[in-house]
Amino acid sequence: MTSGRQKRKWRMWRNAFVLVAPFTLLYLLFFIYPTWRVLQLSLYDAQLIGGEQTFIGLENYRDIWEDPLFWRSVRNTLYFVLLTVIPNTALGLVFALMVVRLKRLRSMVLAAFFLPYILPVSVVTLIFQWIFDSQFGVAQIAFQTFFDENIAVFANPNWAMPMIAFVTIWWTVGFNMLLFIAGLQGIGKDYYDAADLDGANNLQKFLYITWPLLWPITTLVLTLQLILQLKIFDQVFLLTGGGPFNSTIVVLLYMYRQAFTRFDGGYSSTIAVALFVLILVAAIFQVRVLRSGRST
Amino acid sequence: MYKKLCGLVLFSLLSVALAQTEVIWWDFLGGGDGVRMRAMIEEFNQSHPDIQITPTTLEWGETYYTRVQTAAAVGQGPDIMTYHLSRYPLAVEQGVLRPFSEDELASAGISRDTFTSSLIEAATFDDQLYGIPLDIHALILYYNRDILREVGLLAEDGTPQGIDSLEGFNAALQTVSEAGYLPLSFQTDNQSATVWRIFMTYLNQQGGSVVDGEEIAAGEAAVQTVEMMANWVEQGYARSNVEYEASVALFASGDTAFHYNGVWEVPTFTDLAEEEDFFDWGAMVVPALFDQPATWADSHTFAIPAGDISDEKLAAVLEVIAWMNENSLQWAGAGHVPAYLPVVESEAYQSLEPNATYAELINNAAYDPNSPLAGVAGPMYAASANFIAPSVNGQLPPNQAVQGFVEELNAQMR
Repeated sequence: MTSGRQKRKWRMWRNAFVLVAPFTLLYLLFFIYPTWRVLQLSLYDAQLIGGEQTFIGLENYRDIWEDPLFWRSVRNTLYFVLLTVIPNTALGLVFALMVVRLKRLRSMVLAAFFLPYILPVSVVTLIFQWIFDSQFGVAQIAFQTFFDENIAVFANPNWAMPMIAFVTIWWTVGFNMLLFIAGLQGIGKDYYDAADLDGANNLQKFLYITWPLLWPITTLVLTLQLILQLKIFDQVFLLTGGGPFNSTIVVLLYMYRQAFTRFDGGYSSTIAVALFVLILVAAIFQVRVLRSGRST
Repeated sequence: MYKKLCGLVLFSLLSVALAQTEVIWWDFLGGGDGVRMRAMIEEFNQSHPDIQITPTTLEWGETYYTRVQTAAAVGQGPDIMTYHLSRYPLAVEQGVLRPFSEDELASAGISRDTFTSSLIEAATFDDQLYGIPLDIHALILYYNRDILREVGLLAEDGTPQGIDSLEGFNAALQTVSEAGYLPLSFQTDNQSATVWRIFMTYLNQQGGSVVDGEEIAAGEAAVQTVEMMANWVEQGYARSNVEYEASVALFASGDTAFHYNGVWEVPTFTDLAEEEDFFDWGAMVVPALFDQPATWADSHTFAIPAGDISDEKLAAVLEVIAWMNENSLQWAGAGHVPAYLPVVESEAYQSLEPNATYAELINNAAYDPNSPLAGVAGPMYAASANFIAPSVNGQLPPNQAVQGFVEELNAQMR
């Protein structure tokens, strides 16, 4: 009796193991192992590939702590986060609210807003390099009108980061809009009918029904955005390369420079670990703040 | 009978194919010179039935060197590759290149004395030769004779006159500007490698340098050089934020008097002049605007990635290197100055235009400093694009740009 039960239990475990094994193995091989290696490499003075590796303990971490360019890249990354996370979420919500009101044109407008999101980043940056070209770009007409001169936005330390943020929002807002539309469609019509009976106006309906019921989605979008934007690399690499004079250098770009122009495997791994910690702290902090926001 | 004959033919073809040594070749020659290199490879393959070069052209710059380094480290690299001489200090420090032994060179009949000595010296570390030079390429000044004639700046012999001092050059630019033409074009955007080349040229003309022993340092001469370039843009002599291709197009359009660029654009203008109604153009050694003549220069070399290579393959690679140098007159057609002295001294090369007009630059070539931070797409190029190019565009005072450049590089000397 007991042995039969044990056997069954064992068989169950065995089946479970067989079923999760493929994923677990791949996960260990492609996620856990590289992460482990990065952690390990950050304790060494080592080239990216090949060469000798010397264990130096926490020296890389001490160096990074005193590296002004690293801190500059952290500040620039946080600046970029500030410029994108909330604007991108807010804009996604506004577009979603407008799109759900449409009836016949809805799918067309939806497609139009979502279209940029399917473009590869290289295409997006090429488009905006043309639009903002300092000689022939169409945007220069606007700059001429407002500032009386052509502005090479990606070569200008004041303009570069806001414009990278603008390009990023243009590119990705469609996805946020889609998430919000899904959220909006999940809110029962009954609430609004009841509110109508109570004589609520549109603003009241938004503030007391839509906004609170949409809060879980908003939290999700904000968290996804935060993690995504902290990992900014592609747009900066393609549009400014971190310049002019490091005004747009971000953490991943600094890591890339250390890894692929200097081939410093140890130091670049240390930067990667630092970014990991930064994202972890920021995400935990944000989840805390958003939760407390909900309870009040 | 017929079947048997077919089989025999097939067998003999197969055995030829089997006896062939394949040489995997990587280069970064994507421009007009790349076309000429492909023609040379084709010719080599046809004249050497036992060796087959399989060429791949990768994107110039950081992409190329990142790929070479990673591929070589895991043993997936090419058998032979083009490599900028300016990157040797970094490459040797990182152990990317395989040195050539005396026996190997002797077996292929390659002798150090038959190459420009400064190049051989720059490719030698601890008495070991890490690569064989193919050419010297340098910054030159292209000019439009039609415009210069019109504004009275062309001498009897068809060369520009009055540009032998900074004041004279600036005055010439002003004259051209007043005549309604664009005086000067060069790549001024924030990716600019041309800015680095002009910077190095005029820094060396003032006897300056960016290295002081192990340290990176730059003095007043560096600031003055940046000020000179920034002034060209500020005065409207050159446009700001011009991309590489646009800088070439501005000159090719015929409305620009002078153009700073490397010798590698010679085939572009040569071909344009052959095809259509092109203006009368010339090229000259960069004028000496300061105390002494000097011209930024670099060299394309052939190198083998570190790692194992079979004797048979090595022999084939050495054969390729020797042949390419012996036939580098063709390569000179791409604007470059050959490194192989018998070609340089040949009558055919001496009369090759426009190379002959700037052949003397070899005597005053200023190579990138011997530092692991130097080299194409290396940290110095990056720091120049990061600080000096924006300063040329008027976004950072020249003294701050030079200071930023020095600090950024010293931080990397860790």
